[in-house]
Amino acid sequence: MAMITNRRREVAVAMTLIAPFVLTFVLVFLYPTIRMIELSFTDAPLIGTGEWVGLANFKRLLTDNLFYTSLKNNGYFVLLTVVPTTALALAIAMMITRLKGPLQALILALFFLPYILPVSVVTQIWTWMLDFQFGVLQPVFAFFTGKPVPVFKNPYWVMPTVATVTIWWTNGFNVLLFIAGLRNISSDYYEAAALDGATRWQLFTKVTWPLLWPVTALVLTLQLILQLKIFDQIYLLSSGGPFNSSYVLLLMVYREAFQLNHGGYASAIALVLFVLIVVVSVLQFQLLRAGGNKQ
Amino acid sequence: MKYLKTLLAAGAMSLASLPAFAQQDITWWDFLSGGDGVRMKALIERFNEEHPDIKINATTLEWGVPYYTKVRTSVAVGQGPDVMTYHLSRMPLGLEENVLDVISDDDLATAGLSKDDFFPAAIAAASDAEGNLHAVPFDIHSIVLYINKSYFKGSRFLDDEGNLTGIESLADFEEALALAKENGSETPVSYATADDGSTYRVFFTLLKQQGGELITDGEVLAGDNLDKAANAIEIMTNWHKQGWQPEQAEYPASVALFTSGKSAFHMNGVWEVPTLVDMSSKGTLGFDWGAVQIPTLLGTTATWADSHAFAIPTGKEMSPEKRAAVMTAIGWMEKNSISWASAGHIPAYKPVATSDEFGQMEPNATYSSLADTAVYDPRSPIAGVASPVYDATINIISPAMHGYLEPAQAAQQVKDELQSKIQ
Amino acid sequence: MKTRKLENWVLGIGSLLAAAIWVFPLYWAFITSIRTEERVVSEGAGVIPDEFNLSSYLAAIFDTKLLTWYWNSIGTSVIITLVVIVSGMMCAYAISQMRFPGRRLLYGVVLASFMVPSQALVVTQFILMNDMGLINTWAGIILPQLIVPVVIIVYKQFFDAVPKEMREAVVLDGGGDYTLLFKIYLPLNWGITTALAIITFISAWNQFFWPFLVITTENQMTIPVGITQVNDAFGVYYARLMSVALLGAMPVAIAYLVFQKKVTEAVMISSGVKG
Repeated sequence: MAMITNRRREVAVAMTLIAPFVLTFVLVFLYPTIRMIELSFTDAPLIGTGEWVGLANFKRLLTDNLFYTSLKNNGYFVLLTVVPTTALALAIAMMITRLKGPLQALILALFFLPYILPVSVVTQIWTWMLDFQFGVLQPVFAFFTGKPVPVFKNPYWVMPTVATVTIWWTNGFNVLLFIAGLRNISSDYYEAAALDGATRWQLFTKVTWPLLWPVTALVLTLQLILQLKIFDQIYLLSSGGPFNSSYVLLLMVYREAFQLNHGGYASAIALVLFVLIVVVSVLQFQLLRAGGNKQ
Repeated sequence: MKYLKTLLAAGAMSLASLPAFAQQDITWWDFLSGGDGVRMKALIERFNEEHPDIKINATTLEWGVPYYTKVRTSVAVGQGPDVMTYHLSRMPLGLEENVLDVISDDDLATAGLSKDDFFPAAIAAASDAEGNLHAVPFDIHSIVLYINKSYFKGSRFLDDEGNLTGIESLADFEEALALAKENGSETPVSYATADDGSTYRVFFTLLKQQGGELITDGEVLAGDNLDKAANAIEIMTNWHKQGWQPEQAEYPASVALFTSGKSAFHMNGVWEVPTLVDMSSKGTLGFDWGAVQIPTLLGTTATWADSHAFAIPTGKEMSPEKRAAVMTAIGWMEKNSISWASAGHIPAYKPVATSDEFGQMEPNATYSSLADTAVYDPRSPIAGVASPVYDATINIISPAMHGYLEPAQAAQQVKDELQSKIQ
Repeated sequence: MKTRKLENWVLGIGSLLAAAIWVFPLYWAFITSIRTEERVVSEGAGVIPDEFNLSSYLAAIFDTKLLTWYWNSIGTSVIITLVVIVSGMMCAYAISQMRFPGRRLLYGVVLASFMVPSQALVVTQFILMNDMGLINTWAGIILPQLIVPVVIIVYKQFFDAVPKEMREAVVLDGGGDYTLLFKIYLPLNWGITTALAIITFISAWNQFFWPFLVITTENQMTIPVGITQVNDAFGVYYARLMSVALLGAMPVAIAYLVFQKKVTEAVMISSGVKG
């Protein structure tokens, strides 16, 4: 009898402990997810009710050129950021771990600093740096291409530039992860390998790289998910233009919902994005784990 | 008993009228900055001084897409202002979004106005299909051609009085551009080539001057309108190629190019008139300037135009007292719109627009004739400020004229993009 | 040995140079902000500081609502941090130390929600906030930011590692789970708590997308949203823009430079690469 009361009491106490999180979760996560699915089958405006239209929104999506453009740009942006930032962060981390004392702390702080800035601060600084008329970097462009480049107005430059700004902003985080990963590798491995007369390159490929793989996989996964959700920088730097060449899915969601008042259609796009990110992250997680096990 | 009743009635009346003594706070949103902003702020200040029982709390938001996105969303969630400025070009879109409350004849009477006080075209533009008024027109504004006369001294483009002359075709205009370039003008015709509004105004003017139409019976750039649009983009592209117009100029830069004397011409709204008047009277301009109607370059005389208006958002529970205060403010603004005219605009309120004081105002008088040839945006939910048409301009036309796409292809893209938005 | 020393020198100077290039944008923003507007756009405005003019900072503080935005940012970020930490800790404790039906499901949900993009939910979250009348309120900014699954995941790992013997003394004294949590588990994990709080605070402070949607009046804006309002459509003042941007970044940047070690540690711990 006492056992049962105790058990009941434990469950009751547990419920009070998890209640704040669970209730918030249901309210701001689960319910909106269900509403999003529901809305995606209607022609509702942003605020107000709509008619059930079945799969019409999704059919429209399949014929919407902007959807394919956005999807392609999301992919392009991932390509431009994920692997480059991972490689760059690894290089910087390896450089920093070889430094000592205060110099190490200083260099790390400088590389990490941009990460703690709000995105709008980052975009305002870079907009100014790259300003077509007065930008401090325009002489550099002029030196290489012969004339100043309006980077956010040029369909070829816009995505690589947004990607560069993004890498500058978020790279510090990845550097930290790699530094932690490098510190976790016991120096015994290096000493043993050095005794075998391994070259530096061999040290990297035979010791560092395989032992660092879990961290690399983590960085790749986090970056992939993060960059698929790109909105802020695009909105603030190029608003999707020119010729939609920097349009991405989340920008489409925003525009349909908040500028064109198409709550239903926006929900359909959001649902596609939602599923896309979940599928990609699960897939990548599995792939990377499999890759890691093989090493 | 009767006495008591009277007393009660009097008590009730005094209670009812009590709120009228309390100060009415009006939340006011506008998108007016630069010279417009200065003048509107002065008007609001004067109004607040003259009306101790009403206080306008004004917020200025960023013009264009940010402003209208905010209005749309705020009104939808019942968080809109009490009164806001609105472009009449956007009226169909505003009606579709259902953000504009009906302004009744009683409302107008409260403001001391009636529909007859305004030009019929403006009233029509501010009304829905059933003839209900949704905004009170405030002005008519268009683009004009600003001139730096110093580049044309002794040429055939200035008459004896120093006024611009001899530009009757595109060839004439381009000859003038070439001459100005020769005379050292860095960018002979400046306009904000990286800005949606400025680029659109020039494009639309060039389209209409060919007799072209953007939208006819729900079809975008139907028939040969497509070629006319392509031709308009072609002309702008050519100005870019010749180095006549600035590359990727943002709005402030485009104005600065003219005021600093680097541009012989400047195509921009009348709202920059005060900037030049001020600089000229302070002696910081450094050249003789003028402003004329955009010359007829392509056969038909036409100039893009739009109107500012006042509107009351829907979905807001507003006490009769507050609504009366809002209408009082609107009425006062209309009657004092001569100050607004000094920002270059033509008042929509006839008693002011036909007054001697306005008739003598310079340089408004030199371009007031354009009121007859002004062309407004097509009446469609995809047109107007911060509409899909403006989006297509910044997304397609502006990059195309900078050489990233052939004019014909760009026109086709504009057509496809806008057509898809029409259903 | 000599080559080793030379190599260290090269490495040190090389890394300093690289870091200098990396922070150049911040340097340039600062140089711009202390110049007059005329100087900023004049031809000879080089990268060497040549003016010290604080007028654009004064304009930034007095002509904008920067102070209000600071207040909104601090208020909402502090509340988010407190709620996220306390509710996350409680939930993690229950999952880690107690038995109740649905425990594994709950943890599964927490792990899964780690992968779910909340950005894709903004439309319906916005509708929800409107239904609750929370547009343009702190609560509207705060609510959707309260789900930070990583806090639960990290806490759970740390609570799992607390030796069971630590419980016994409290249990013998008749103390319940709340006593255990706040008297034993929390004090034992102060380090991780501050780490998680720092991370939560920084991300709440820097949040742009959601506050940008849910706030439409200047008076309720947070720093990241507010500073985008300063860019007036018909007049761009670069020195002023840079002053506002730097002032907006200042509080967290200073906090970072002071607590650098703690922040570094916090990032490492919360992403699970260091335990």
